[in-house]
Amino acid sequence: MIELSGITKSFDRPVLRGVNLRVPDGCLYGLIGPGASGKSVLLKIIVGLIRPDAGTVTIRGRDVFAMSDLELQEFRKQIGMLFQNNALFDFMTVADNIAFPLRRLFNLPEDEVRQRVAERLAVVSLPGFEDRLPSGLSGGQKKRVGVARATVAQAPIVLYDEPAAGLDPVTSQKIFDLLRAEQRAAGATVIMVSSDLDRLLTVTDRVGMMYRGQLIFDGTTQQAQESTDPYVHQFVHGIPEGPL
Amino acid sequence: MVEAAEPSPESAVGHIDEDAIVRERTGLAWVGGSVLDLLGAARAMYSVFVKTLYYSVRGVRRPGAVAQQMYEVGNKSLVFLCVVMGFIGMILVFQAGLQAKRVVPDLSLLGATFLELLVRDLAASISALMLATRVGAGIAAEIGSMVVTEQVDALRMCAADPVDYLIVPRFKASIVMTTVLVVLAAGVAFTTGMLTGYAFFDINPRTFVNMSMVDAGDLTIGLAKCVAYGAAIPVVSGYCGLSTFGGSEGVGWATTRAVVNASLAVIILNFFISGAGFLIFG
Amino acid sequence: MMAGSVVTRALQPFAALGAFFITTSEVVGGMGVMFGRIISRLVRFAFDRSELLKNLYKMGVKSVPIVVVTALFTGGIMVIQAAPLVQRYGAHGLLGWGAGFGTLREIGPLLTALMISGRVGANNTAELGTMVVTEQIDALRALAIDPISFLIVPRFIGIVTTLFLSTVFADALALFGAAYAGTGILGVEPMVFYNGLTSGLLGLGDVFHGLIKSVVFGIVIALASCQFGITTSGGAPGVGRAVNSTVVVSAAGIFVLDYIVSFAIG
Repeated sequence: MIELSGITKSFDRPVLRGVNLRVPDGCLYGLIGPGASGKSVLLKIIVGLIRPDAGTVTIRGRDVFAMSDLELQEFRKQIGMLFQNNALFDFMTVADNIAFPLRRLFNLPEDEVRQRVAERLAVVSLPGFEDRLPSGLSGGQKKRVGVARATVAQAPIVLYDEPAAGLDPVTSQKIFDLLRAEQRAAGATVIMVSSDLDRLLTVTDRVGMMYRGQLIFDGTTQQAQESTDPYVHQFVHGIPEGPL
Repeated sequence: MVEAAEPSPESAVGHIDEDAIVRERTGLAWVGGSVLDLLGAARAMYSVFVKTLYYSVRGVRRPGAVAQQMYEVGNKSLVFLCVVMGFIGMILVFQAGLQAKRVVPDLSLLGATFLELLVRDLAASISALMLATRVGAGIAAEIGSMVVTEQVDALRMCAADPVDYLIVPRFKASIVMTTVLVVLAAGVAFTTGMLTGYAFFDINPRTFVNMSMVDAGDLTIGLAKCVAYGAAIPVVSGYCGLSTFGGSEGVGWATTRAVVNASLAVIILNFFISGAGFLIFG
Repeated sequence: MMAGSVVTRALQPFAALGAFFITTSEVVGGMGVMFGRIISRLVRFAFDRSELLKNLYKMGVKSVPIVVVTALFTGGIMVIQAAPLVQRYGAHGLLGWGAGFGTLREIGPLLTALMISGRVGANNTAELGTMVVTEQIDALRALAIDPISFLIVPRFIGIVTTLFLSTVFADALALFGAAYAGTGILGVEPMVFYNGLTSGLLGLGDVFHGLIKSVVFGIVIALASCQFGITTSGGAPGVGRAVNSTVVVSAAGIFVLDYIVSFAIG
């Protein structure tokens, strides 16, 4: 269970104004909303990268911001994350990038690390890319390496910030299906931010909508699609006229 | 970095408004505000310094990281530093000789005085100003780019403290390489100075090379400066890099701040170390 | 094959040297072309007045704090460095002359130029570089606005003016700092210091010597920062690299020209 209560954060101007959110265990949660509504900041707050001005984040019964640095480091073993800009280390090869969480967080024998990396690369259909550098990859390939790195440690909690941005529709649907299959198999708790609503809503269990720093909707995928709330209705169905 | 996460119409404007926070302050409030900002930055830099020292002893060892940074620092600065210090040697001897002739006709002690000045101050301080520019800007640009592309966040997610992972190797490498480069720079400057003395003032190189004025005090001060500058440059510019926000203009601004702050740090450290040296060694 | 690789390796330093000269020529050539373009707009007064005022404020007024700090500390350092010599020869009356000579002719213009290069030159590159990578320069061209007249010339005038005025200011402040450091460290009264400054060993020539240099340094910084800014490529890391190149080329240019100018005007 991921539980946020009263999260408030400002950078010069308010970005989040009192967000309350509960994501049950084993749920694939889709976070949607127009640009600049605070989704990415919220994700970074959940994993403790940004400290909120007010409010608490509780993951599996533990308060993220009450932990010491060392406890937080240990706790992050349970979390995988894909960043909006992929955040691949440009001074490392693809294989080293994917292996990085394994090597830093878990003491695994080197051949097991190599095996896991090869397996991940095969899953994101980039076999044999181990020794390439991120600078030589296309946007979509970088995204897929980022997905591989986020999932390599098989963390029980995974956060994806735009897992399909810049991908063609086919690859995009493949990625969503893949992430869904892995989430089911591992029983992981997943939060996904994406603007590709058509595909996102095919895989989510629950959906939350952010607007101007607040969570204005929270419910099952079906409820979101049938919602009569003017904001949610307009956004989910992509209608040009409306309150947004 | 956070604001870059969600592009908004306001952030699409290309101009850097670095003083947005102090824009409204005028007069005394501006002075007071600037002082407070400066103190805040100084405190933050101090905490980065303490963290760097902590991780230098207790951090995760990564074989090769320090050696690679030493190569970066040394190799990239070598030609630049030699050119600058070569010209410095020529300028100083030329100007000093010109002036000294007005007061004392005898230039035989010019070389000895020049060497003492080089050892005690100029070799370390001018080289450090150049390294603050070259190395400091490089560190800030590199770390700043990693911040805006979220690589630093990714490091933190994998239990790699950015100070430990990024600043500590540069810190160790910089201390060693600054000392090495300063010794080399002193050699280059002294050689070009000697040639200038010979060409313009007919000072015999044998008269010019005169170490009688360099004593243990001068060497101690010179060495202390090398270590202090070598430590200050990566810490100050690393801090500037880590506090980057915004997109590409943020990286540019962080690099600028790194150059200015690292140069200021060198000048201020010089003042205090020279003062202390004068009080201790006379 | 083996022999070939040995020869290649043996030739590597020469290749590096050649590459160094080629890049240097490229940079100097690019700056020369830029200078020509700027001059051609300057003589026709074809530049944007409001951009000029904005840049003068942003570059000049905003640099005052670091010029003040640098100059005061520099003055102090000059005296500390001269102190052992002064004590050795008991030449307290010459302190003003020594500090004044060093400050006015060399250290004042040099250190001010280095700081302005970091503060203003680098910032300018960052700004122009950001405009390039976000396609703002292309947008200007598409609107039939000449980027040189609109962006570059005002910045050029701004930087040269800023450096000249800052040097005047820094000279005065550094001597002020030196006078009081002399009192504090060596017990030389400020009046004795000022007598040493004005006793005839120093003249207006020394002041102008430094000021001519500051104009030359200003031109180098302006050209380097505009040139690297406008040729930026490669997103955020590209902007960082451009700033890095600007400060390095400015510093090297400042020292090389310092020697040439010192020598040329004696």
